[in-house]
Amino acid sequence: MSADTDKPPSMSAPADSVQLRRVLVADDEAPIRAVCRVNLQLAGISVDEAVTGNEVLDAIERERPDVVLLDIMLPGLDGWQVAEELLSETQTADLPIVFLSARAGREDIRRGANLGAVDYIVKPFDPTTLVDRLEATLARVAAGEGEQLRQELLEST
Amino acid sequence: VRLPRHQYLPAALVTVFGPALVTLLALFTDDSVVAALVYVLAIITASLAGGIWFGLAASALSLIPFNYFFAKPENEFGFATGEDVVVAVVFVATALATGAVFDRERRARAALDAAAAGARRLQQSAEALSSAVTPAEVLDAVLTESVAAAEARAGLIAVLTEDGRDLEILAQRGYSEDRLRNWHRFPLEGEYPLSYAVRTGEPVFIDSEAERIRRFPALPPITEQTHALVCLPLVVEGRTIGGLTFSFASDQEFDEERRAMKVALARQAAQALDRARLYEALSTAEQRMSFLAEASDVLSSSLDYEETLRSVPQLAVPRIADWSGVDVLDEDGAIRRVAVAHSDPAKLDWGWEISRRFPPRPEEARGVAKVLRTGEPEFLPEIPEQLFEQARARDPEMAGILEELGMHTLICVPIRARDRVLGALTLVRAESARPFSRSDLDLAMALADRAGAAADNALLYREAEQRGEAARALTYVGDGVFLLDRGGVVRYWNRAASLITGVAEEDALDHLACDAVPGWELIEEHVRPADAGAGELARAAAVPVALGEEERWLSVVAVDFGDGRVYAMRDVTEEHALEQARSDFVATASHELRTPLAAVYGAAKTLRREDVDVNSQVGQTFLDMIESEAERLNGIVGQLLLTGQLESGRLSLAETECDLRELVDNVLATVAVSAPETVSFEVEASNGLGPARCDEDKLRQVLVNLVENAVKYSPNGGTVSVALSSTNGRARIEVRDAGLGIPEADHERVFEKFTRLDPGLTRGVGGTGLGLYIARELVERMGGTIAVVSAPGSGSTFTVDLPVS
Repeated sequence: MSADTDKPPSMSAPADSVQLRRVLVADDEAPIRAVCRVNLQLAGISVDEAVTGNEVLDAIERERPDVVLLDIMLPGLDGWQVAEELLSETQTADLPIVFLSARAGREDIRRGANLGAVDYIVKPFDPTTLVDRLEATLARVAAGEGEQLRQELLEST
Repeated sequence: VRLPRHQYLPAALVTVFGPALVTLLALFTDDSVVAALVYVLAIITASLAGGIWFGLAASALSLIPFNYFFAKPENEFGFATGEDVVVAVVFVATALATGAVFDRERRARAALDAAAAGARRLQQSAEALSSAVTPAEVLDAVLTESVAAAEARAGLIAVLTEDGRDLEILAQRGYSEDRLRNWHRFPLEGEYPLSYAVRTGEPVFIDSEAERIRRFPALPPITEQTHALVCLPLVVEGRTIGGLTFSFASDQEFDEERRAMKVALARQAAQALDRARLYEALSTAEQRMSFLAEASDVLSSSLDYEETLRSVPQLAVPRIADWSGVDVLDEDGAIRRVAVAHSDPAKLDWGWEISRRFPPRPEEARGVAKVLRTGEPEFLPEIPEQLFEQARARDPEMAGILEELGMHTLICVPIRARDRVLGALTLVRAESARPFSRSDLDLAMALADRAGAAADNALLYREAEQRGEAARALTYVGDGVFLLDRGGVVRYWNRAASLITGVAEEDALDHLACDAVPGWELIEEHVRPADAGAGELARAAAVPVALGEEERWLSVVAVDFGDGRVYAMRDVTEEHALEQARSDFVATASHELRTPLAAVYGAAKTLRREDVDVNSQVGQTFLDMIESEAERLNGIVGQLLLTGQLESGRLSLAETECDLRELVDNVLATVAVSAPETVSFEVEASNGLGPARCDEDKLRQVLVNLVENAVKYSPNGGTVSVALSSTNGRARIEVRDAGLGIPEADHERVFEKFTRLDPGLTRGVGGTGLGLYIARELVERMGGTIAVVSAPGSGSTFTVDLPVS
């Protein structure tokens, strides 16, 4: 089943050039992981899960996803540290990171943007539109607008 | 030749007895030679005593017997021979010559006597003048001498006014007041004899009324019978200081001598007058000094501002003025009379009446209003008639009051203090008194200056008292207060400032703020001073200041008041920490609320998807998730509410009988439901544990929090045990885990609000940071204690001790 078929027409244009296959969901809350997993899998996307910061790094090393959905309050390495780690490694520096956090302060969002995140989703969120949102973001990343996405994040605060 | 009357009798006697003697000699001696000698002697004596005519008479009378007895018989009676004729001629000639000689001598003696008398008079007047010390005494001396010489009927002395434009009559004698009414002052340039004399320095001698009318037609007659008049300039050392006038009761002829004498008299009078005036000036100055000294004493006796001003008119009346008043400018700009004094108590009320009924308007161009407005004195030696007319035109009643007051000459001077006009002092003299002079104005200003200084003192005293009170208040106020002058130097440093900053007063005073005030750079950077002048409200800014080892947060406000800045500071370190904690809590709480909320919302959204079947396994899992996450939300909300109750003191305890063992079992059963399978629970209860009195619900809450905590911090599983024991009416509950443990440094901190140990240490440890805070608060409110024993890696034991009976 193609994920594209479910998308609203307005989102289909930029998503055309993106093939979202694998997403890593990193969150210590099992219910959040479950919600993300079910909705992503229904769109035919493979989902990896991680509970701690170290598990995130391990999972990426095992198989590189198209995007990481990264919670911040993780046991062990927290989301910030994971993002720093990924940014500092040449193989993973270009891996798109989308933060998914209950921390909604503008400082948090700016910090995320400064750590190279291309999107910042604040909990609670609508998991049924998650696929569209990720595909739209990745389409722009593929179009070389990654830096612009970061700027938009910074300006949104 | 005029003869003195007393010489007629001896001359007549000699004239008669000389010839009788010749007759007796002829009868008894018949010696013509002796008779001739007696005859000649008689002629000479008669001439001497009576002059030529008596000599001739004596000669003629003597010739009769001489001729009769000594004529030759042949010649009978008469001039018989030529010899006899010769003798007769010789006799007559002798008589003539002798008479002439004696006449001349007598005239010379008379002239000498007259000169001596004049000199004596000058001498006398010089003596009289030398003892005269006032202008009146000088005039008295001059006139006394003139009148004594049967010369002048009346006289007056006039002096030049200060501006040199007018002559002012100082003293007079012999003229009626009526006549001089309009002559107190008259212009130097006027065509009057005295004006002329003073102006030109030439004496004016007028012999008769006709001459006066011819020379000075402008001068109206000042007496009915105007006769001779003398006007003399009074000159001292080349300075003309005034003039002297004598009026005579008859026409006079002023010869050189009399003129010279009058001029000499004028010179003496001028010197005496000058000296008198000097003396008067000196004694006046002395009187004024003592008056001012006395005034200063009176003025400085009160430290009340208005009372000081009120005492001024009393000082001025009657010594300087007949009437005096003080007006002040009120803050609303109205002029208010504060004191009045009048030499006549009956007229005192008029002074009040006039200011009450006709208060001066601040914008008026004259008088009190002008003085108060401009600070310039008003000086009216003669109040112009037009002012009275204006008053009359404005209000006839006011004119009546003015008349009652008898205003004639006026001075109004400002009462100043440090460039500010506090009030105006008005001085008025009645018509009978002399007009105010420049020196009166000087005196009035000196009095006003002293009054101003005294009033200013009173003001300063009042200000100082207020400042003293303010300073006392500032000393004891809890906020640190300091004051900087324009140069940034600390001028005031109160006790609280020392307590807050640890900088002693002596180390701060007179030092630059940047040297004395800790953290000055930050204070200056963050605290914007309010402008007191613009009525701005000061806004406090919290500034972190390093004081010794620690950083304190100071809330600082500053107000700029023109001459400097005043700063007030308060240590808000605790408040700041609390605020920080509160803001952290909001962030934390919102995070804690959002997480379960995200699960509930996400699960519900997912369940609504068309491609998700609620009855599938996934569907059921999501429904369970919604239920449990909602319960979690409820727990968090409950904790927040409980915290709010604890903080506001609204929490009340309800003691009941309860079985501790049963309570612990219930709690463990509840927690176990959501606990990981790796965690096991056990209860140790000592025997003989009876029922306890306590608030069961609150204790349940404590135990739930402790046990959930134990589970949460045992990420790797293990046993959570609860031990129960009781001694002496106290129950002990120990909750033990084998989990992560707590570092020694955090043992106290874990009980504080919003404290959570680094979540990175734990797996899935969320929480509000309120569990242990709530536990301790509740235990302490139940009269118990709670403590922790723990070390990292070896688990924790929380011990609760409670009174239960």
